[in-house]
Amino acid sequence: MATKTKPNGKSEKNQPQSTRLWLMFPPKLITRPIVWELGQKFPLVTNVRQASVTDEIGLVSLELSGSRGDIKAAIKWMEKLGIKVEPVEINVIES
Amino acid sequence: MDKQTGFMKALKCRECGREYPLAATHVCEFDFGPLEVAYDYDRIKASMTRSAIQSRSKNMWRYRELLPVAGEPTVGCEVGFTPLIKADRLAKRLGIRELWIKNDAVNYPTLSFKDRVVSVALSRAKELGFTTVACASTGNLANSVAANAASAGLKAYVFIPSDLELGKVLNSLVYGANVVGIKGHYDEVNRLCAEIAGKYNWAFVNVNMRPYYAEGSKSMGFEIIEQLGWKIPQHTIVPMASGSLLTKIHKSYQEMTKLGLVSDAEYSVHGAQPAGCSPISVAQKAGLDFFKPVKPNTIAKSLAIGTPADGFYALKVMKETGGAADDVTDDEIRDGIKLLAECEGIFTETAGGVTVGVAKKLIASGKIPANDSAVLCITGNGLKTLDALVGHVGHTREIRPSLREFEALIEAETKSPTAA
Ligand SMILES: Cc1ncc(COP(=O)(O)O)c(C=O)c1O
Ligand SMILES: [Zn+2]
Repeated sequence: MATKTKPNGKSEKNQPQSTRLWLMFPPKLITRPIVWELGQKFPLVTNVRQASVTDEIGLVSLELSGSRGDIKAAIKWMEKLGIKVEPVEINVIES
Repeated sequence: MDKQTGFMKALKCRECGREYPLAATHVCEFDFGPLEVAYDYDRIKASMTRSAIQSRSKNMWRYRELLPVAGEPTVGCEVGFTPLIKADRLAKRLGIRELWIKNDAVNYPTLSFKDRVVSVALSRAKELGFTTVACASTGNLANSVAANAASAGLKAYVFIPSDLELGKVLNSLVYGANVVGIKGHYDEVNRLCAEIAGKYNWAFVNVNMRPYYAEGSKSMGFEIIEQLGWKIPQHTIVPMASGSLLTKIHKSYQEMTKLGLVSDAEYSVHGAQPAGCSPISVAQKAGLDFFKPVKPNTIAKSLAIGTPADGFYALKVMKETGGAADDVTDDEIRDGIKLLAECEGIFTETAGGVTVGVAKKLIASGKIPANDSAVLCITGNGLKTLDALVGHVGHTREIRPSLREFEALIEAETKSPTAA
């Protein structure tokens, strides 16, 4: 059953929400302070929950809180830099 | 048995060990680690004996103490207990002393091992009071959720990428499920479904119900042990997408050992992936604990998960049990499908072709010694992936209705038998 949600996306754009993400950094970005940059660029609260960095890959689980629009823009920005951004619920699509 | 929880104790974080109530949640609030069901093994030991199990009906629920539902199952009560077949002809071809096929290509009702996980997820969803169930899937999982929800009278939402093959779409629509096609690339569809799962109060089988759902795979391992005469096989070869099935087969062997239902034995669990999507097997071969995500490109679409959620744990299981992994090309997958069909009369989907192909490689390389015994997990049915074989299995030879023409054909065949 559908809960009380607004039928159109527009009015939700500015409602605060939290999103949990896994970030995967390619080697060339491992040393760049992406999470700090993100906090400067977007009005979002960042909260790192887990991280593992090797020469090969950096994995960071990050919680982002803020408006839906800002979260979406931040994800776009990270993806443009070459970071893979997945929901913590990875594999939502199974075979 | 406790009315509310059965033989379950709590949900427990696999990273930090924190415990959570047995609700529809799947991630630890502290470190985002995956949650897993913890059981009361002392009580289970008292109730689950070989003779108790053997007195029950032949389906996966004969191991119900180790499956995460509180009361009796209400969905998918006939799932499982698929045949375990001694595959002598295939053993000979692969060069191994003893080989068994666990044949979930004929699992009830939707012809893949996914019915095991879905029957647990939906039974638990009903216990938790859900009336709508959902999943996002490109195939077997969608079919299974749609069918099992229909028979249970649950409302189902099935999300699929909008460019999916017609056959797979029909295979979910026929059960009356709400099928939503989503335009966009894989990552976007994934994120949208995660948002939907977070927002609607539905039982998303592989999201908020994942701790329960994933446990259903253990039943395949329990059955293997019982059907081998209460023995753990020396080698088990398992296809990997997210890597969940492989870790749960291992867990099933450990649990039966812990409960004294089978004697402690050494065993190895091996993993199989298609070369076009092999993050786990590539990491295993390189001796790494972590995998690198990949972009899938393979005919084995049911194994095409580029960022496997349980990849890390699957690597750990292989390391701990002395298992190996390998991957096979599209052509090797087709050869694997044909080999199993020609030797054993079993038609598997592409995932099964991967399992057979990888078994062949592991035996040839000595990673599975020729003198040992192995079980192949065949997890899906060939009728679902006919596209992969079009143009690759020969063709019919047509004749007019005349005996003369037929005899000419037979004669040509006897002269060059390979033409057949
Ligand atoms: C036929 C078949 N075999 C194997 C798998 C692999 O399952 P897992 O994601 O548990 O590794 C899948 C599922 O995605 C499947 O559909
Ligand atoms: Zn935790």
